[in-house]
Amino acid sequence: MKKTGFLFDKRFLLHKTGPYHPETPERLEAIYKGIEEAGLLPKLTLIKTSRADLKWIETIHDKHYIDRFSDACISGYETLDRSDNQMCGETYETALLAVGGILNTANMVMEGKIDNAFCAVRPPGHHAESDRAMGFCYFNNVAIAARYLQIEWGVKRVGIIDFDVHHGNGTQHLFEHDPAVFYYSIHQHPSFAYPGTGREFEEGDGDGLGFTKNSPILPGQGDEAYELSIKKDLLPEFEKFDPEVIIVSTGFDAHVDDKMSDVNLSTEGFSWIIKMIFNMAERYANGKLISVLEGGYSLKHLPELAKNHVEILLNGGENVY
Amino acid sequence: MFISKSMTRDVVTIDKKANILDATDKMINRKIRHLPVVEHDNRLIGIVSDRDIRSAMPSIISHDYNSKEEREKLSKLKVADIMTPDPITISPSYTLQDALCLLQQTKVGVLPVVDENDILKGIVGVRDLIRAFINVLGIGEPGMLLGIVVEEQTGKMKEIVDAITEEKISFGSILVAKYWDKEKRAVFPYLLTKDISRVKKKLEKMGFILIDPLEWYLEQLPKTS
Ligand SMILES: [Zn+2]
Repeated sequence: MKKTGFLFDKRFLLHKTGPYHPETPERLEAIYKGIEEAGLLPKLTLIKTSRADLKWIETIHDKHYIDRFSDACISGYETLDRSDNQMCGETYETALLAVGGILNTANMVMEGKIDNAFCAVRPPGHHAESDRAMGFCYFNNVAIAARYLQIEWGVKRVGIIDFDVHHGNGTQHLFEHDPAVFYYSIHQHPSFAYPGTGREFEEGDGDGLGFTKNSPILPGQGDEAYELSIKKDLLPEFEKFDPEVIIVSTGFDAHVDDKMSDVNLSTEGFSWIIKMIFNMAERYANGKLISVLEGGYSLKHLPELAKNHVEILLNGGENVY
Repeated sequence: MFISKSMTRDVVTIDKKANILDATDKMINRKIRHLPVVEHDNRLIGIVSDRDIRSAMPSIISHDYNSKEEREKLSKLKVADIMTPDPITISPSYTLQDALCLLQQTKVGVLPVVDENDILKGIVGVRDLIRAFINVLGIGEPGMLLGIVVEEQTGKMKEIVDAITEEKISFGSILVAKYWDKEKRAVFPYLLTKDISRVKKKLEKMGFILIDPLEWYLEQLPKTS
């Protein structure tokens, strides 16, 4: 059994998004409940959060944007940049706590105190660009973690796998010139889904050309298409890239019953994906894997999906290579 | 949507007395296929394309290009000898739509933009128009496309626009496909939001039929079996 970390903090619930918004605190409560009721908490190493040092946020985000975000919170604005980004007075602090917890997780993984971890955080991050909030995201949690591993821990090759049903435009753009970070995303085809990027021919730029890979999935497709794409697009790339650490943008919104998407990934399909990633971490990264929550909006299915996710981080699973 | 907003202003030009080897080098270096030919005061007198050059020197692709004799012969050919004089031009006050229709009709590759004195102001190529239309469609901005079937009836579009506006969602664009079905149209609003589930429900409640994205995609695919 692996030493698996779990990051959760009640303060992640303080970011409120108003009455009609899908990205609610209840999502996180459902995830926590699923893990707790399955009796998994005693098996996990609970990770404490702390407010992230701004210097790490600034490695990814524009200083003016950070100020604008902070000011908007203090001034009581209800949205930032677009109506999708509903916020409250606690949003900025919550976002800092989420990043801080993830950086603590990164330290524990690199110090060998844990092998892998699931970070159940809000707000999500993968749409956030250097200078603006987008698609429910404010700070790009995963991007900041990748930079942190590069700078603080001297990691030479960070592999990011994003299986949220939406393309992680922010993460892609932030690293598209960087050959030291491989970004792979599998998501609903951009012609049918937000944010409208992540096409097959987006493969990075300049020195980073060949270090970005996208697998668009058509509406109506599910487990089979995911398996095929991951085997065809991701495995050979990671075999070449040989990541030292794998960071995962974990979104549960590709689920067949999730209203935010038209792709039909089953509960078993999610398990297959995380087993695959677990095996990849074993093969290349000495098991080092940091999974960070992005989307996933079906309150009915989140408990089971999160429980399966953590169980696989703990126990691995048959080698599905 | 005037062309002056979408054209390339920094135009690479060539003198009519330049020889065509210089013109070729310029095109290769700047990765372009057309050079407007101008007088010293930037007045447009012609245009030369990579095709004009190729037909003037068919041996450029053969080994003869390197032979001294051949090079000498070619170096004597001037741009003025092979250019298209008085090319089709447009004025900066042309609209995007004008340029699109003219390109389609004349089948030229680019349209030089000149003022009333034929002074070159810019150039518009297919690439400029693609950029302009991506902008018009709003698809450079994050958002989602919605497909709605609408009866050909006045006021239906307004109902859709109002319903979406009430949800405080911004529009990237709206496309209307005229002959979707008999007496029906398909409307495709591109919405600058991640969450369209509420507006979808609302439109369905109002009696609109939403186009299943899968169906809508498969219809565009060539039938294989
Ligand atoms: Zn998502």
